[in-house]
Amino acid sequence: MGLVNFLVYLAIMMGIYGILSLSLNLQYGFTGLANFGHVAFFCLGAYTSTRLVLVFKMPFIIGLLGAMVIAGLFGYVISIPTANLKEDYWAIATLAAAEVVRIFFLNEDWVVGGGPYQGGSFGIGGIPQPLRSLFSAYTYPFFYLAVVLVCLLATYVIINALTQSPFGRVIKSIRSGDNLPQALGKDVRAFRMKVMAIGGTFGGLAGCLWAHYHGFISPNQFLPLETFIVWAMVIVGGKANNKGAIVGAVVIMVFYNSTRFLKDYIPIEEVTLASLRMVVIGVLIVIAMIFMKEGLIKEKKTVY
Amino acid sequence: MTFTQVIINSIVRASELTLLSLGLTIVYDILKFANFAHTEFAVVGVYLALFLNVTLGLPIIPAAIVASIVTGFASIALDRAVFKRMRRSSGIIVMVTSLGLGIALRNSIRAIWGADAKNYSVPLQAPIITEYFRITPLQIWIILVGVAAMFSFHLMLHHTMLGKAMRASSDNPELAQASGIATEKIITRVWFIAIAFASVGGILIGLETYILPYMGFAIIVPVFCATILGGIGNPYGAMLGALVLGFAENFGLYVNFGAILNLGGILGFSKELFIPTGYKPAISFIILILVLLIRPRGILGRKKEG
Repeated sequence: MGLVNFLVYLAIMMGIYGILSLSLNLQYGFTGLANFGHVAFFCLGAYTSTRLVLVFKMPFIIGLLGAMVIAGLFGYVISIPTANLKEDYWAIATLAAAEVVRIFFLNEDWVVGGGPYQGGSFGIGGIPQPLRSLFSAYTYPFFYLAVVLVCLLATYVIINALTQSPFGRVIKSIRSGDNLPQALGKDVRAFRMKVMAIGGTFGGLAGCLWAHYHGFISPNQFLPLETFIVWAMVIVGGKANNKGAIVGAVVIMVFYNSTRFLKDYIPIEEVTLASLRMVVIGVLIVIAMIFMKEGLIKEKKTVY
Repeated sequence: MTFTQVIINSIVRASELTLLSLGLTIVYDILKFANFAHTEFAVVGVYLALFLNVTLGLPIIPAAIVASIVTGFASIALDRAVFKRMRRSSGIIVMVTSLGLGIALRNSIRAIWGADAKNYSVPLQAPIITEYFRITPLQIWIILVGVAAMFSFHLMLHHTMLGKAMRASSDNPELAQASGIATEKIITRVWFIAIAFASVGGILIGLETYILPYMGFAIIVPVFCATILGGIGNPYGAMLGALVLGFAENFGLYVNFGAILNLGGILGFSKELFIPTGYKPAISFIILILVLLIRPRGILGRKKEG
């Protein structure tokens, strides 16, 4: 793989994970919702868009919007049982919900059209890439990068506007306990559900971009591991800071992908290397939580 | 599969879950955070036992005991290194930290022992086969260990100073703290007991099935579900939750829901309707979500906290 190709690939991954990181940051960083099942939105977005574009032959833009709507709805629905509960319950309930989503796609191969060796654990290939015919194999990644960056920018602008609006002030007050927003007459439950739906919507967007970039998806790509990588991005980058979320995505993605080349220099097996990478991610989370609570970019404290 | 067989499988599963959920619940009770590294600690015990049993050739029972004790001490060391620095942090911060620690533990194990399934070296034992069920000597052991664990927990809670301190702390955390009960000494002992029990539970699961670095994550939701089902922080609730979940997981696949929907012929629903086996892991997840929806404090949960 040429260096330019690799850099474009890396930038696309940063963009997609940047969207995931921004949306998790809205839920955890700003609102204090410990969503350990963020990958569910990613997975739902990928499968919804694949279903719409590959099976129903809809245009890419419909797939993208459908992915956002379904993932957003899912965020709203899973917060119904948990919206009044403490953060410990959030964590395990969202983790469980994400696994249910993955098990669903593992068992139901009709979702992506069915057929021999398709769907279920086989995954599904041949997902069309938008406007592929207009570009050569060399120039297409650059076009896709542009698509991803536009989506990232849109996500950033929308989430940034939200967090600076009165809505943002309410969710930040929810983070430090229910008492204050309740005393001000805010419906804490409704705000939490909205945050899950909005975060889910953008998670779905990331999933759609992922599916159409790789052209192949399978339930194995949506393991809880992905959620934890996004968590590392939010925590290392700086929670409750949108720039921090993107910086976190960039840092973790550079670390995650650059260490792939280590095996060319030191004799180490692929599996061991993959494990050690995740050890570092885990240790990074622990160290950041103990010594660097604010992350790389601190939350802006506004005095009103 | 006969009805008796399903009951036996349920009790075996409940015994394994009990060992793990008891530890999770007492750590929550004393330290007030949901430890997402709990089942990963258990897997550390599983692999230590594998090392003692297969690499060093120790018989499985002493290997399991030594491994569980060592893992118990290791958890104290990790508490000193990580969680002790965050005693005053909010539950969510410590919980996220435990998640990071869990990822690090799981992948350290995978880096050292590899990702392949492994087995303990134990002599094959003939199962006891009757007309109604078959049970292996190992499964009898699992049930006995599970019952012994529950009984010793009960004795500990009611007949030792540690148990008294733990009950005081769960009855009224503020008062207990004011009386100087939740001291570092208690915390150390709670970690040791919780993780040593979890390690025994993990080893039993490893004996019954096989050993994988990923097994801790595979049981985290059933264990949390059992704990929440009974009322998080309540050891008796953890036991009850494990029992309910053990039965739910096995009966979920056994019951013909078609017959239930038919309501004795009233609705004329004649199709057989079983939960597909591929959804077995989803049963505990769905029960968890139902419990959160209907009774988030758990069956034996107290009303005070929400």
